[in-house]
Amino acid sequence: MNILHLSWMFGRPAKSRMAPQILTASAYAMVSAILLIVLGGAYSFTSFELEAQGTYLPLAIFAVVLLVVPLLVLGSAAARLSARSNDRALSSLRLLGATGAQISLVAVLQAAGTALAGALAGIALYFLAAPLASLIPFQGAPIGSAIYLPLWVLAVAVAAIVLLSAGSAAAGLRKLVITPLAVATRSTVPTPSWLRAVICIGGILLLYALFSNMGQFMQSIAAIIAVIAGGFGLGLLVMNLLGPYLVAKVGKGKLRKASTPQQLLAARMILESPVESWRQVSGVAMASFVAVVGGSGAALMASPGNEFGQGTWMEHVPADIVTGVLVTLAISFICVAASAAISQSASTLDRAPLYRGLNRLGMPYTTMNAARTKSIMIPALTASIGFAIASTILVLPLAGAAVLLQPLTVITVIACVVLGLLLVRTAISVADPQKLLASRE
Amino acid sequence: MLENSLGHPPVLDARGLYRSFGSTTALNGIDLQIALGQSLAIMGPSGSGKSTLLHALAGIELPDAGSIMLNLPGRAPVDIQGLKDKARTKLRREYFGFVFQSGLLIPELTAEENVAMALMINGVPRNAAIASAGSALAELGLTGMEQRRIGQLSGGQQQRVAIARAQVTGAMVVFADEPTGALDSTTGFEVLDTLLRCTVGAGKSLVMVTHDPNVAARCDRIVQLQDGQLTSDSLHPSNAAKDGAQQ
Ligand SMILES: Nc1ncnc2c1ncn2[C@@H]1O[C@H](COP(=O)(O)OP(=O)(O)OP(=O)(O)O)[C@@H](O)[C@H]1O
Ligand SMILES: [Mg+2]
Repeated sequence: MNILHLSWMFGRPAKSRMAPQILTASAYAMVSAILLIVLGGAYSFTSFELEAQGTYLPLAIFAVVLLVVPLLVLGSAAARLSARSNDRALSSLRLLGATGAQISLVAVLQAAGTALAGALAGIALYFLAAPLASLIPFQGAPIGSAIYLPLWVLAVAVAAIVLLSAGSAAAGLRKLVITPLAVATRSTVPTPSWLRAVICIGGILLLYALFSNMGQFMQSIAAIIAVIAGGFGLGLLVMNLLGPYLVAKVGKGKLRKASTPQQLLAARMILESPVESWRQVSGVAMASFVAVVGGSGAALMASPGNEFGQGTWMEHVPADIVTGVLVTLAISFICVAASAAISQSASTLDRAPLYRGLNRLGMPYTTMNAARTKSIMIPALTASIGFAIASTILVLPLAGAAVLLQPLTVITVIACVVLGLLLVRTAISVADPQKLLASRE
Repeated sequence: MLENSLGHPPVLDARGLYRSFGSTTALNGIDLQIALGQSLAIMGPSGSGKSTLLHALAGIELPDAGSIMLNLPGRAPVDIQGLKDKARTKLRREYFGFVFQSGLLIPELTAEENVAMALMINGVPRNAAIASAGSALAELGLTGMEQRRIGQLSGGQQQRVAIARAQVTGAMVVFADEPTGALDSTTGFEVLDTLLRCTVGAGKSLVMVTHDPNVAARCDRIVQLQDGQLTSDSLHPSNAAKDGAQQ
């Protein structure tokens, strides 16, 4: 029996693995569709006049880079789900005497197969969504057919997604081999090392200096963009260093105050791995940061008395930056929602015996579901509120001016963040153990 | 056998239980009365319907036909068969305790919190629940392990945490499905001793599924199941004589 045959035997769509496989494939479909739409949007800028491209392309590349983080989280959630749903089949293979190398190959082939199916579906999704996305206006006109990427880009994107999934399957497998019993890995609450503290404080000071001297950069658009982009990069770094620590702090507070079973359980779930909790919602923090800094920057540029090159391509820049911020927000929330839905479904499926057993003991599914939901929403709210406040303080002069001069833009951006959080909340309800497990009883 | 020395009616009174899964008949007309304070072992070959019977008696999954009455001291009789799903969930967490082969402990919680959870779900405030959990664990010889996570406990210790959880609510009936099935025989007997002490020793009933004749021999009464029917029902002479309350 050769390896391909084995992978097909264990990896083909089967009723028992249907739910995880569909989830995984649709996650990959979403990753590829979003990636293609974003690339398509960026690509459409190449049809602008050369001078405009000089401003738009760096911004677009910057947005793509920003979105890589949530997209990677989504992709790795999918890869882990696919690996987990195959755990059992793989370990039975091992019992049957397959060598470690053979098993790795089977697992990687399976993951790649699922990713391929998902990526192809993603291309279909991209063509379905493209007409809608092409309505988004840049430079005063809808993107239009410029959103359609050349064929070779589609091929490269599919190949990249398949390779990435194979890579994470291989990485995930190493963990599986080390802990064959699939015992949850325990990480202790991260204490910020002195290096971490220095980077954070330095970063914050630098950011503060940058943004409080914003006025001096106001001379040219390129300078403003450079400052905003540099600020974002620094901000993201600080954020990812502080995030797990902040989540752990909030989790400990919740643990102390917990009075109901669901509160206690949720706090413990968060503290189980603050790094993991943070990773799941880091996209939300990033979105808040983008919303505050990008939003107020854009609002300010668009404010009266700040006219850039009337009648040239430059007059559209402020409006386009608002559009860009909103698109980035929307996409990062979609990614966070999708990856939370996937990893929550994976964990519910993983814990099916425990959840069913606890229900037998008399612990209602609703309690478990409430705990699970809280364990995502508490970090999400922490990330979003915490980093919205932090970035507002950071760009206080900017944000203050924006609220005064362009309240509508500010309100739109805030509404977007609230909608995004609601989206995450709705998305994780697919992993409700009652719905997900009752049907398979 | 049906009434204990105080004249209390059987705590569980099941009649005509019938349950089928497709073409398999898992329970085929079972009548079983369990006295308060009695320890009952359910034995039988694999697939004979032991777990199905246990689940029916505990109101986890209702049989297709038959009736199950629960008579707790000082409470009105309850017809389990007539309860909706939600009411049965409530009944289980308030009046029954469970110990399964896999402890079904929540890995993120400490030993103490796992036990306290059973009380908190019944509305006991956290501090009181933690205090009761602490003393329940101490009674089972787990002093010093309250703050440990489940993964940091041995199999036997985990089962004792599960026993603490089953008895901390004061449940008068404890159901156990192969509670020692995953343990070595020495640890198994230690856990069994603990289980008997916490249940029968405290005037509660224990309904236990087991494959192990030596484990069953420690109970007051043994029933044998075969193809969904009771084929034998015997009081264990020495044990029944020992606590004498059964006849
Ligand atoms: N959910 C179910 N769906 C279909 N058949 C079932 C289900 N649960 C039990 N059965 C069948 O009912 C019969 C009795 O099962 P049960 O689990 O009660 O056996 P058991 O005596 O506990 O066996 P074991 O000692 O192996 O645990 C078996 O033939 C089993 O296959
Ligand atoms: Mg069984």
